Amino acid sequence: MLTQDYKGQKLAEQIFQGIILISAVIGFVYGLIIEQFGWTVYIVLAGFAVSCVLTLPPWPMYRKNPLSWQPVIPESSGEPSQKPQESLKKKKHK
Amino acid sequence: MNTVLSRANSLFAFSLSVMAALTFGCFITTAFKDRRVPVDIHVSKVMLKNVDDFTGPRERSDLGFITFDLSADLQPIFDWNVKQLFLYLSAEYATKSNSLNQVVLWDKIVLRGENTKLNLRDMKSKYFFFDDGNGLRANKNITLTLSWNVVPNAGILPLVAGSGHVSLPFPDAYETTKSY
Repeated sequence: MLTQDYKGQKLAEQIFQGIILISAVIGFVYGLIIEQFGWTVYIVLAGFAVSCVLTLPPWPMYRKNPLSWQPVIPESSGEPSQKPQESLKKKKHK
Repeated sequence: MNTVLSRANSLFAFSLSVMAALTFGCFITTAFKDRRVPVDIHVSKVMLKNVDDFTGPRERSDLGFITFDLSADLQPIFDWNVKQLFLYLSAEYATKSNSLNQVVLWDKIVLRGENTKLNLRDMKSKYFFFDDGNGLRANKNITLTLSWNVVPNAGILPLVAGSGHVSLPFPDAYETTKSY
């Protein structure tokens, strides 16, 4: 499953917080002017939907700084660790 | 914030907090508004009967019948924080046995978007005007007031009395019941 990296997570959080706050301010002012609180709620819900689309799926812009993992070091004793796993598998199999 | 679910959780919780703050803002902008409006009540007919009352401790109680006209403009009360108004017409008077009596005679619910100019003529009361005893006969002063309860989207529900009221005396004699 694709995940975002740390810089991408921070960017996603900033994006959705900004979108929702802006839509909240716009919604509050618009609802106050036309005297209907329902419109305030609709505008905030629209901001929520836009934020969902922009931040929930792991877009490529959030994966620009991947972590550089260290290269794998091959283990010196590989044989003994396999036998306990085989016996465990036999016990579960019914 | 690494998985979709954790991002979705964070986004949803933030939106809900922002929505709560907006609702509080909506409440604050209308919390100190004066919700009184002038009201005009006019009574055209008053009748009094003395009937069997099965709900009280005595055999017969006074029952009043009032026909009234009502006109008021409720438009200034409605703003973005008002969902509906509950209007009621109440009669207030004093008798020898009780110092204060209040009886609701009629009520109406006015929703947002409905016609806010009330202009009702020859309305009969919706509820029985029973007295606790026989104190309506020859009562000099019965005051009718229109009050309302404001039901908001967010905040307190104030109970407001309209600024017009009418006082009237009740007749001295009972009507004999006619069967036709």
